[in-house]
Amino acid sequence: MKVSPALMSYLQIGPLLLVLLLFFGIPLLVVIAYSFFQFDGLDSIPAFDFVNYIDVLTSQVTLSLYLKTLYYAVVVWAITLLIGFTVAYFLAFHVQSLIWQMALLLLCTVPFWTSNIIRMISWIPFLGRNGIFNNALIGAGITDEPLEFLLFSDFAVIIAYVHLFTLFMIVPIFNAMARIDKSLIEAARDGGASAWRIIWDIVVPLSKTGIALGSIFVVTLVMGDFYVVKVMSGSQSASIAMAMSNQIAMVQYPPAAASAVILLIVVSLMVAAILRIVDVRKEIAG
Amino acid sequence: MLKLQTGKRPWSFYALSCFFGLFVVFLYGPMSAIYILSFQGPTGGLTFPMNGVSLRWFSALFAQERTGDFAGAFTRSMILAVMVLFLTVAISVVAGLAFRRRFAGSAFVFYLAVASLIMPGLLVGLGVGLTFQTLGVQTKWFASALGAQLTWTLPFGMLIMFAVFSRFNRAYEEAARDLGATNWQNFLWVVLPILFPGMIAVALFGFTLSYDEFPRTLLTSGATNTLPMEIWGMTTNVTSPALYALGTVTTLVSFIAIALALGSIAIIQLRRSRRPVGKETSTKE
Amino acid sequence: MNPGDRRTAERGSIDLAGVTKRFGETTAVKNIDLKIPGGCYCCLLGPSGCGKTTILRMIAGHESPTEGAVLIDGENVVGKPPVDRGTAMMFQSYALFPHLSCRDNVAFNLKVRGVGKAERRARALEMLDRVRMKSFADRLPAQLSGGQQQRIALARSLITNPRVLLLDEPLSALDEFLRLQMRGELRHIQAEVGITFIHVTHTQMEAIALADMVVVMDQGQIEQAASARDVYDRPRTAYVAHFMGGQNVLAGTVTERRAGTVTIASGKKKITITAPASAPAVGAQFQVAVRRDRVRLSRAPSEAADAGVNGVSGRVAAIEYQGTWLKIAIEDACGEGFVANVPDGAFFADPLTIGDPVLAHWDPEQLHFLAAPSGKASGAATANPVKAPTVFAVG
Repeated sequence: MKVSPALMSYLQIGPLLLVLLLFFGIPLLVVIAYSFFQFDGLDSIPAFDFVNYIDVLTSQVTLSLYLKTLYYAVVVWAITLLIGFTVAYFLAFHVQSLIWQMALLLLCTVPFWTSNIIRMISWIPFLGRNGIFNNALIGAGITDEPLEFLLFSDFAVIIAYVHLFTLFMIVPIFNAMARIDKSLIEAARDGGASAWRIIWDIVVPLSKTGIALGSIFVVTLVMGDFYVVKVMSGSQSASIAMAMSNQIAMVQYPPAAASAVILLIVVSLMVAAILRIVDVRKEIAG
Repeated sequence: MLKLQTGKRPWSFYALSCFFGLFVVFLYGPMSAIYILSFQGPTGGLTFPMNGVSLRWFSALFAQERTGDFAGAFTRSMILAVMVLFLTVAISVVAGLAFRRRFAGSAFVFYLAVASLIMPGLLVGLGVGLTFQTLGVQTKWFASALGAQLTWTLPFGMLIMFAVFSRFNRAYEEAARDLGATNWQNFLWVVLPILFPGMIAVALFGFTLSYDEFPRTLLTSGATNTLPMEIWGMTTNVTSPALYALGTVTTLVSFIAIALALGSIAIIQLRRSRRPVGKETSTKE
Repeated sequence: MNPGDRRTAERGSIDLAGVTKRFGETTAVKNIDLKIPGGCYCCLLGPSGCGKTTILRMIAGHESPTEGAVLIDGENVVGKPPVDRGTAMMFQSYALFPHLSCRDNVAFNLKVRGVGKAERRARALEMLDRVRMKSFADRLPAQLSGGQQQRIALARSLITNPRVLLLDEPLSALDEFLRLQMRGELRHIQAEVGITFIHVTHTQMEAIALADMVVVMDQGQIEQAASARDVYDRPRTAYVAHFMGGQNVLAGTVTERRAGTVTIASGKKKITITAPASAPAVGAQFQVAVRRDRVRLSRAPSEAADAGVNGVSGRVAAIEYQGTWLKIAIEDACGEGFVANVPDGAFFADPLTIGDPVLAHWDPEQLHFLAAPSGKASGAATANPVKAPTVFAVG
């Protein structure tokens, strides 16, 4: 049997497309549909009603949730970018041997393949009242009382986010930097440019696709998180997704779906904004 | 050894090395703390100091009344991860083949996959859960959760296959065709073996991402738990080092998977790139 | 060296008839006619992007011509898969399967054809022996040197028992020393198996050292297809003369005709040469070539001295020592270059230095008249007529 190349392409892409449509495309439409359903406190009633959106958008809670989540996103983005850029810069430009580069990059990537939840809870014995950090501080005579703000606080939430998500910055930035022609740097150095000038004028512009990709990962991960904020803030703080997960736990599907759609729109706008600044299509398609 | 650019390393090298070292400690330090604490003595608590050393908390994992159904959750997670592994590898490889040619709609599939990759996991879980409910089908870990996890592992697999195929020399296929191989023989005997290291990488992503998946699985696994949900449950109601023991066991499985995958990739690449030892043998006889 | 003399001349003859290949907007090969006799060692020579590899791939069946026919032993093979053509291709980087041992690489075609394991191992070993690589049977390709890889690639191609072996830049991946060695071996193996070899290269010396027939290409067209000696000694066009090297090309407008001579001018420069009766009329363009090693140098009173017939004057601009000879670049008063290759003995008897005024002369029979650059060469290996040119561009 002879199969034409075009038909072959569709046969080959078929399974991927099928899974994505069945478990991503259609469910997304279902969520959108549910967001217009009515909710009587017990059941979802099929309808076309904006009441869920009106409830969400007019609620004072929504605004504070968004502000809080955006605050996390911005702070975590800035910290992971700083660390990610520095680590990637070190690996790409200061480690000369390719084998060492790969080994050290792998060292940064291995945690990605382990459980996020476990990595998150591993901060508990560290930051707790009687945790390693407080004991060390008291032992060193820096404080007499254990610091309370370490665990179950914004500080703990942010440190867990940074711990979990920095490698999403490192890998794309490193990939972009690895492609920079090293002779450019040498030429600039020969031309008398300072290290800072070189970083700012050559390295940053040439690795901006990596920075953008990393930013998209980190921002979407923080915006969509519900479990880190719940555990690490000791339920004292909240995020949009966490509020959503609470609604889901109480079977309030239509309001949850409306929150989901709004969250989706906000996240899409943020991604679009990043893409508007940096066109990453070449990077991911190449 | 790290090679020098010019005779002496600049001060920035040492500063950045220290920064990198601190980052690695930050990355692995807390994790190692819980591995140590999971061997806490019977009277020990959730934090240091260690009150003796015991395997008590590991055995506690199997006492169901205390920690829930660890053995069941573990089994389900392993089966699910293996299923996701094979599906991810198979689907990503054939999708990668498709993307080597331009076809109408390729951009749509590509952006759909990328959107699926960055979609908040809870939203995917909610969507799949609601879809199953609307259809009147029970959510099950081996059906709805499997599908939800694939929306996360497949885009990774696809992007890895892009990278793998971009380095794949088409001359191999032409050579095989030149030697009379049919398309099928070409795929089976030439393309697949050459792609094999890349496929192991996809397998590693498929297995570990599924094995540790939480936000997409939470609303789609039905009446029974997977391992990450078991751990999640314990974070709220277990206040003994059994939680750490579970973390240690889980991470051990991840590490075994990582070591197996990276090890076999390294062995294959080394074998295929090793130069002959000693002098280059003369070609004249 | 005459292709017609070869034992198996009837096997593996190639005939390209009106072949054109377009990739989208660009035309890689423009309406080419080329006949390659069976059993011939043919080199396709040209700069990168001239279409030579495309021709090779069309013969192999890895590309289909947009127009025209590809005949092997008189049978049109367009549309046929590579395996049904009786061709075998050796790829530029050899494309040895990295996961298979040398033996399995060589045995691949047998495996594809369903030959049993014991037999294909035996036959692969036999073929490896033929390229003197038997002791490397169990090695992986990455464990071999470039030259060794090439032998494996050769063995892998030859085991299909092809009529035509197609070699895409087979020596380009090797260092200079191995290149010379493998060049000799390729020629040797071709003589041994007696099939047609079509070898793509961009190196002139490689082509003339190896080939019975050299096809010089430029921009998708054949500039000249002839024996190695003809292509080097009697280039058909100025392009071939420049590309093959070793020639001075003199071009210009005919300004004066006398009995037996014409004077051509390019800018302020004027050269008078011996000319046949068929030389073009006054006002027409005219191009001739003179081999650099057929030029005699003598000292002149000044750089503007009258060179007379079949000569140019100038001063020495550069001297390059080449071992057995020296390359002397001469620059005339108008800044135009001319090169003479002088045997070392003659040079060192009276060494010139840079700036010395010299006269360069050649014998009338060393003049070689060139054809119009736009004319398409006929693909037959024999004909090389130089017709009276009508339209010329100054080279």
